[in-house]
Amino acid sequence: MKLPRLPFLLTLGGLALFFLPIRGLTTDSPLEAVRSTTNQVVLVLRAPENQGPHLREKRIKQVSEIVRPLFDRREVARRTLGVYWRDRTEEQREEFITIFTELVEKSYGETFDKQAEKYLDQVEFLYDQETIDGKFAEVSTRIFVPSQKKYFSIDYRLHQVDEQWLIYDVVVENISMVRNFRTQFYRIIGKSSYEELVRKLQAKLIQMSTTPSAS
Amino acid sequence: MLKKLILIISVAGVFLSGFSLTEARAQRGSAGQDEVAPQPVADPFEPFNQAMLSFNLKLDEYVLHPVASGYAAVLPLGARQGVGRFFYNINTAPRLGNKLLQMKLGGAGREFSRFVINTTIGGLGFFDVADSWFGLEASHADFGQTLAQYGISPGPYLVLPFFGPSTVRDAVGFSVDGAMQPMNYLLPTYPEIIAARGGWVMGSAVNFRSLNPELFENVDRFSVDLYGAVQDGYLQQRERIIQDAIAGE
Repeated sequence: MKLPRLPFLLTLGGLALFFLPIRGLTTDSPLEAVRSTTNQVVLVLRAPENQGPHLREKRIKQVSEIVRPLFDRREVARRTLGVYWRDRTEEQREEFITIFTELVEKSYGETFDKQAEKYLDQVEFLYDQETIDGKFAEVSTRIFVPSQKKYFSIDYRLHQVDEQWLIYDVVVENISMVRNFRTQFYRIIGKSSYEELVRKLQAKLIQMSTTPSAS
Repeated sequence: MLKKLILIISVAGVFLSGFSLTEARAQRGSAGQDEVAPQPVADPFEPFNQAMLSFNLKLDEYVLHPVASGYAAVLPLGARQGVGRFFYNINTAPRLGNKLLQMKLGGAGREFSRFVINTTIGGLGFFDVADSWFGLEASHADFGQTLAQYGISPGPYLVLPFFGPSTVRDAVGFSVDGAMQPMNYLLPTYPEIIAARGGWVMGSAVNFRSLNPELFENVDRFSVDLYGAVQDGYLQQRERIIQDAIAGE
């Protein structure tokens, strides 16, 4: 009946969606790619020269650089917009990808870094299995918090593009981030219009620039 | 371990039924279904739900969170975790009853064993020795699941005051789970007892909130449409809990 820690899960999802995805090497299996990129991100976050709140922006930038070229932002945007993607011009699609990506990075980047600062040394990453089906794959991982004896599941959904495995969705504690965003976007478009959705995303971006994350 | 078992059962079932993995995944809303509009959620109570969501968030902001913060300041984490386990243990009856109704006899046996062990050598449930010493892990079962297993659909989405997101089916289930609580019948109905039981429920909520201090932090930050985000988050998790309950033991 209770909603189990939705904001926390959304945080996890966001950070997973944009900060812990794969290194898109053709030789890596999806699971190995997830594991190696997670390790790279952890190394950056733990580097002695990167410690301290005053270096937050630098850390976020470095982590983004590890991940950004390897994440299929267009596919995420396409799936979150669902049936409304078809009706958009190419110009509108590019605008949507830009705004949505910026929104997710802004909303999760700072929060992720603050959460990592608090919890990174207290958790273990477990890589359970991968399921490959043609051009699609799913990698099941968990984060174990020994102090609470709790596991949080994070499943990555990937597809193969030009021999590279790229993530298009992250499912955190059984919540697909793409579906969650899509539900929100469908509600907004259904009640008003696509233009209103874009206006709301832009307003959100402005709001976030002026409001720091709480944790 | 349980998740792995469920996964193995699911995968075996997929092969036995002759489905391809793509079909199986499409059924649970993965790759194949992403371009399709999600199933429209029946939401005839949206105005009420919106009001209840706002009410619950305000209640948390102005009452529950401050009280839980004060409580957390005076009681150490370990003790609060123990209190959480105590409340969990005392609520065994609905879980046990639902395991039986779902014909999960193994699960019912584990719930019973956990209750006996934790109530005795676990100090009334403050310590989960059933898990740490005997490997009997905690599990979940509720009457909403039971109804789902017998084919009852969720019905419209419903946000309950104090208790949060639900559906009509799960709200009915929630009431039945409450009715399965033996204390409802064992204790006399004096006003003092009723008040004490109200305090008990509040105590459970405050303890839970103190163990989850970041529950609603940044709640607005991660959503463009908060109502939709909460609704979908609840429904996705609930779907999985029900799938697991049907597949599990």
